[in-house]
Amino acid sequence: MRRVLLMAGLLVAATGVARAADPGADTDRVERGRYLARAADCAACHTSEGGTPYAGGHPIETPFGTVYGTNITPDDDYGIGDYSADDFHRALTEGELPDGTQLYPAMPYTDYHGISRADSDALYAYFMSLDPVHQQSTQTDLAWPFSMRWTLNAWNWLFAPDDSDDSDESTADRGRYLVDTLGHCGACHTPRNAFGAVESDHRLEGAVIGGYEAPALTPDALAGRGWTASDLTRFLRDGRSPQGSMYSEMYPVFHHSTRYLREDDLSAMTHALLGDDPPEPTPLAAKSSTTDGQGAQLYLDNCAGCHGSDGRGVARVASAMPGNTTLRLDSPRNLVKVIHEGIEARSFGTFERVQAMPGFADDMDADQIAALATWLRQRWGGHDDTVDTAAVEDIIGASSD
Amino acid sequence: MSERDRIPSTPLHVTINGRRQPVEDVPNELMMLDYLHEYRNLTGTRYGCGIGLCRACTVIVDHEDGTSEERRTCITGAHFFEGKSIRTVEGHAERDEDGEIASLSEVQQQFLEHFSFQCSYCAPGFVNAATVLVERLQREPVAREALEDTISDALEDHLCRCTGYVRYYRAVRDAVLATPGTIKEG
Ligand code: FES
Ligand code: FES
Repeated sequence: MRRVLLMAGLLVAATGVARAADPGADTDRVERGRYLARAADCAACHTSEGGTPYAGGHPIETPFGTVYGTNITPDDDYGIGDYSADDFHRALTEGELPDGTQLYPAMPYTDYHGISRADSDALYAYFMSLDPVHQQSTQTDLAWPFSMRWTLNAWNWLFAPDDSDDSDESTADRGRYLVDTLGHCGACHTPRNAFGAVESDHRLEGAVIGGYEAPALTPDALAGRGWTASDLTRFLRDGRSPQGSMYSEMYPVFHHSTRYLREDDLSAMTHALLGDDPPEPTPLAAKSSTTDGQGAQLYLDNCAGCHGSDGRGVARVASAMPGNTTLRLDSPRNLVKVIHEGIEARSFGTFERVQAMPGFADDMDADQIAALATWLRQRWGGHDDTVDTAAVEDIIGASSD
Repeated sequence: MSERDRIPSTPLHVTINGRRQPVEDVPNELMMLDYLHEYRNLTGTRYGCGIGLCRACTVIVDHEDGTSEERRTCITGAHFFEGKSIRTVEGHAERDEDGEIASLSEVQQQFLEHFSFQCSYCAPGFVNAATVLVERLQREPVAREALEDTISDALEDHLCRCTGYVRYYRAVRDAVLATPGTIKEG
């Protein structure tokens, strides 16, 4: 027995020596993995609010039920402690666990399919370097027939991409790799079909998710809302830009992911979004400023205290209104939602924050929200259409479900 | 002054502390806090942060159905209150014929007895919020065990930079317990 223990000790020592041979390579790989985990925004789903990073638990609402991000720390029982690098790569890029279980496509493995093997190994090294957290994540609860994971094999056959020709890092367009593969922007910003699969021929054309619009990110759509490359880069890096600040599901993306990205990667993403030859940003149509009427007075009574009667906003408190990206969107959905529900206070780095915006669900009926939204869109959003009450009822009705 | 320079204004009808106020033209973009201070000389409502965060500027809006709610006057325009009836911190105490204070409200009295505030900057907001709470509990009593949570829920958004809230909390609890009908029996 003693001898066995001794042998084991020697083996451990030998492994230790092997590892110590090139400690720099390991640290570099773990660091690269940490960076990639941020670029891939793993925390958004695998970390619960206020919970231990990557120990699981964040609920992801899907049209078919709620899926919970799992524990991806190296715990043997509840995490990925017994995964090999191959197992990890298969789960990441194929959505298949070592025991053959198929993951729900809330895990964006169809986007991650293009992650290169070297990046997968760096991610693996990083997650394996974390402290294991012995904690079971909440079990997923889906409506039948989606509760039957075997149906996913058929789903994969129909909707998952079948090759990974982007995996060659040297030829891959870094920007597209960051936007489409690691960043999986399309998971929200590309519409999905009735089966919940991303419609790849409508890449980044915008979708409604959780009641909010994840706006279209095509070059024309971005330019149509006044985005320039430098504003877009700034928005990803700082969470704020002259067009407004991140809210709803986009704030966690900034918080867990984009604020950590290197400047060259941010520019690459912007480049991938706006294209080689970015279209000129559409200037905000000048509007005759109507300062009276129901919409105008609702603005003064309820909004101007923070956003200013001239709409200029207050630094670190409330966004400026002229040209605000939410006002410039074709659909009034997000505007109606934020008026109705408000926005949480958000921090954008050490000294930058935006105060909470109260919701007006108890103060304004659909008629009033329609009048206010119409006025805001016409005054500072470059629109000349009217938001009607029925549209507002539709939007806020859907949000109170 | 040319028509162009005139600040757009509209007559405002509002009742404050039970009295209809003289109707005058009030700028459309004036915040209620400024109206109280500059037009009505009611300076007890405090200007703290000006961005809806601290609640020092809270007043009570009384609805026709007998319910009431808090409203932040720093971020709410004066014309929001058109046709409405409000109470400010000046309106809680009983006054004699000469307008002198004869007795404080239960909430005010408890705040004094518990030394609830120090600099008092937050106090008008707390008086109004606690009064809204006590009146609500008279209409919708809670179980004694639920009182602590009910008080924190009702007052937690109000900021005080001096006291640490404990004495406010005790004073509100005692004001509730001293008011008949606020606690469900059994
Ligand atoms: S002054 Fe109104 S909330 Fe602070
Ligand atoms: S007593 Fe000073 S802020 Fe409350």
